[in-house]
Amino acid sequence: MEDNAPLTEGVYYILLSLYEPRHGYGIMQFVSELSNGRVELGAGTIYGAIKTLVKRKWIVPFDADERKKEYVITDAGKLIVEYEIKRLNELHRNGLLITKGENRL
Amino acid sequence: MKKVMYRFYLDYEKEEKWINEMAAHGWHLKKFSFGRFTFTKGEPDAFIYRNEFISGMSTNEKKDYFEFLKDSGITIINEFGGWVYMKKAAAEGPFEIYTDTRSKIAYYKRMLNIFLFLFFVNAWMGIMNISVFGDKVKTGFISPTIGVLNIAAALLIAFPIFKIIQRKRALEKKQQFFE
Repeated sequence: MEDNAPLTEGVYYILLSLYEPRHGYGIMQFVSELSNGRVELGAGTIYGAIKTLVKRKWIVPFDADERKKEYVITDAGKLIVEYEIKRLNELHRNGLLITKGENRL
Repeated sequence: MKKVMYRFYLDYEKEEKWINEMAAHGWHLKKFSFGRFTFTKGEPDAFIYRNEFISGMSTNEKKDYFEFLKDSGITIINEFGGWVYMKKAAAEGPFEIYTDTRSKIAYYKRMLNIFLFLFFVNAWMGIMNISVFGDKVKTGFISPTIGVLNIAAALLIAFPIFKIIQRKRALEKKQQFFE
């Protein structure tokens, strides 16, 4: 799993947004809201990421009947996110430790 | 009100910039083909325009991708010669198709593959057609005139190839430090 780290900011946020089924535009809006407008994902970027994530089985199409295709995260995808959170935690903790001299956890 | 303009850009990014400048003056792209652009008068700055090179996608992939774009609030204007122009209402915020380094580099790579292929096919055809001149063996190639056109096409393709390589390199350098 370590081979997959670090995720790009875009992929990390796309995976997070798919803890609930969403379509492409839904992902775009959710990520923008979640990051207070800091991360605006382009349609081409999301489209490419979705294709790769489906191939890796980190997400799957959800209820394919709908015209607007929705996707949802898989257990494998959730594991990746959890691993990424651990990694981000380490970065965050060490950053504070060195710059602010905060106590080790 | 309608306006037809003839322009030929070797750099597709400059062309896109010009289309957006036209839009800033209220001239909105309605249709494009080889060097020919049709605009209609509308509200200045109402839309942001983007082009994308989509050659190499299968019919199904393209259909799927266009559906996706439409669902994202993007309007496809038209498709010509492997290129597509699209627009999104400026009121809906910034509009870029590729927003991170990794997907931009992937896009440049996809473009380069096809442009390089076209370059080599034209260069090779050009050389083969021209060398019919002194050759006693009939190779079946058409004529030196067409050969010259092939070489001209190869040179025209070389310019965007050079540009894309430059842009891709700059991003790859950036990627050593930033996402």
